[in-house]
Amino acid sequence: MNGPFDAKRPHLSDAKKPHLIEAAAPPPAATVVTAKKEPLPFGRGKQAQEAERTLNHIVDDFDDNPQAMQYFYELFRKVYCRGESIAMEGVRIGTTCIHAPEELVYAMGATPVRLCNGSYHYDQIGAEFMPAKSCSLVKATLGMLNSEDPVPRVGKLDLIVNPTTCDQKKKASAMMQDMGHPVFDLELPNVKESEASRVYWRRSVKQFAEAIRGVTGKRLTRKNLRAAIARTQRAERAFRVLDGFRLASPSVFLGKDAFLVVNAYFFDDLDRWCDAVEALNIELKERLGKAVRAAQKKAPRIIFTGSPPIFPNLKLPLLIERSGGVVVSDETCSANRMLYDMTAVDEWLVNDMVDSLADKYLKPCTCPIFTKNEDRRRRLLELVQKFQADGVVYQAFSGCQVYEMEQRSVAKTLNENGVPLLYVETDYSPDDEGQLSTRVEAFLESIKTRKRNRA
Amino acid sequence: MNYFAGLDIGSTAIKVAVVDEDGKLVGVHVTPSGSLFYKNAKEAFETLLAELGIERAQVRYLIATGYGRKLYKDADDSISEITANGFGAHEVGKAFGGVRTIINIGGQDSKAIQIDGRGGVTNFVMNDKCAAGTGRFLDVAARNLEIDLEELGDYHFAATAGPLSINSTCTVFAESEIIGLLAQGHGKGEIISGIHYSIAKRTARLAKKVGLEDRVYFDGGPALNKGLVAALQEEIGREMVVPERPQTTTAFGAAVLARAEFFAERAERLAEEKEAMAQDAIAKAVAAHCDGPQCGPVGCASHAH
Repeated sequence: MNGPFDAKRPHLSDAKKPHLIEAAAPPPAATVVTAKKEPLPFGRGKQAQEAERTLNHIVDDFDDNPQAMQYFYELFRKVYCRGESIAMEGVRIGTTCIHAPEELVYAMGATPVRLCNGSYHYDQIGAEFMPAKSCSLVKATLGMLNSEDPVPRVGKLDLIVNPTTCDQKKKASAMMQDMGHPVFDLELPNVKESEASRVYWRRSVKQFAEAIRGVTGKRLTRKNLRAAIARTQRAERAFRVLDGFRLASPSVFLGKDAFLVVNAYFFDDLDRWCDAVEALNIELKERLGKAVRAAQKKAPRIIFTGSPPIFPNLKLPLLIERSGGVVVSDETCSANRMLYDMTAVDEWLVNDMVDSLADKYLKPCTCPIFTKNEDRRRRLLELVQKFQADGVVYQAFSGCQVYEMEQRSVAKTLNENGVPLLYVETDYSPDDEGQLSTRVEAFLESIKTRKRNRA
Repeated sequence: MNYFAGLDIGSTAIKVAVVDEDGKLVGVHVTPSGSLFYKNAKEAFETLLAELGIERAQVRYLIATGYGRKLYKDADDSISEITANGFGAHEVGKAFGGVRTIINIGGQDSKAIQIDGRGGVTNFVMNDKCAAGTGRFLDVAARNLEIDLEELGDYHFAATAGPLSINSTCTVFAESEIIGLLAQGHGKGEIISGIHYSIAKRTARLAKKVGLEDRVYFDGGPALNKGLVAALQEEIGREMVVPERPQTTTAFGAAVLARAEFFAERAERLAEEKEAMAQDAIAKAVAAHCDGPQCGPVGCASHAH
């Protein structure tokens, strides 16, 4: 873990700086001395090393990364490796799932930050007070919230909105409250097809709006909601354009970068994020014109589905692309599911807008927490066809029952349609990388053999 | 004579196989992996070549596979052990009427692989990160019972009572379960056959996930254990093929692939050369017919139309 890149990037000493900035500027010369004398808190080092390792793989294992990706690489170095604070305007609202309508948050003058965490270090902290068989994502998120040194550094949260999705997240709500965080339970129905569930959900969303008003003191108006929808729609548009570049064969843009871009959306300033993605889109258009290739023409094209890859746990997508495959699209809540669907408003009146928002967050969602989920299978087949994919890789975090259970029906559907599937049960721990690489490589090799035989 | 080699660097043993130009196996070598993967693999390879009287230069293509495949930089290519196992079993299985399902138990994992009529992998499953049902499990059990790995089969058939049930799926817990059974006065034979059935049940469950088809090919080091073979046969209830040297199928598969890769690359090169020569000939012909600006419909290098 330590060693080569410690020498290259002295991130451990950098890590102290943000503290000092927050503590209103003591003379810089003295700070360097104290930073060296004081041993670094154990956690910061571990967390930062993990992030550094993933970033090095993302950046150094691939030639000719798009220039515009530098913004995102640097953003993650700043936030995860150097632990710099994230400037959030006004009231800060943490979210633990994509189901919390962020437009409402923006409209009432607050800033959302998605707390879902991907760090093995926090997973282990979470394991100290969570059942051993709970999923890494929930353990890491709670571990981070309970840690003395939570990264990303978003400061004190005024409210955490916790949609009542899977059982583990539901029960996490009370735990977060015990830690001293103010929590709002956003009640989500178990079924999404029925009219009753739609009515129920719309009411929940309105209650959420009330809860935000409780912390910001601002009212939801036609004007501020419309402006907020326009802001997020800009992000959705930029994402759709970016998504379109991934149709190209040979690939012009890799999945590892795509995951990083959407992961940045969790905590980055909305407008700055949009600027960066739009700049990336301009560059990718040029690259496409010049026929710059991000992968070999023969590279197996993979759709990624299942438990969400969240930085720094990009273990599996990275393994696919380091082994010569390309993740051309995904069906996960840390990327595609987060930004693909746009708000469709009929009438620009407050109530209609809120209803349209509620619909956007319920109807197209393919999360396995819903009783029936044919939409997910349909969506996967659609992605396979649209992106000319050769196979699907399905990640299930150990302990994530809903994804583990849905594996069967997804496998059956894909099998019936002749689409190869690799199902991988894993967690945030790096210890199965050797085994996983064998599986991933064998899967990619079998796809290549199949293609050769067909030719 | 040209030769092609496969080097399977596993967690427990290193296996080398060499085939000739016709893809016929000329020799194999098996040695423990130890802790110095690269050094031991290199030595194993050199030992086999010396035994066969083959020069290193005569080995025209070498493919590394297995857990340590990435460490062996002298190889021309590396491939996962699942792909290599598929092609190896396909070749060996021909003599038995063809195989479509492979069960492989290795030192630290077990796999079930489904292949098509050409040896290509169509589906596979692997155990999770756990030693239960792998060679390591047998290793631990043999050590507890103070017998050699090679003796497990004999004890299995010499059992005087029916197989005991071993319920622990975890290798570490199974160890204490075995000690408990010994303390209760059970014989080694019944315990060992119990262990074999426990592994066989686990493996059969894994194999059913991938889907059993046709004959089942069983390989990997533990396939040398006749007791385990008998137990697995019973659990699977299908015709089972156990090769003569079950440890080396994967290395052989890698060697077969090395040969195929060599000829494919050569064919590609020849095709390219031929294409270049043809282009050259056209250019020459065009140049020869050049009569200045009106040099014909094709044009020449200096008078393109």
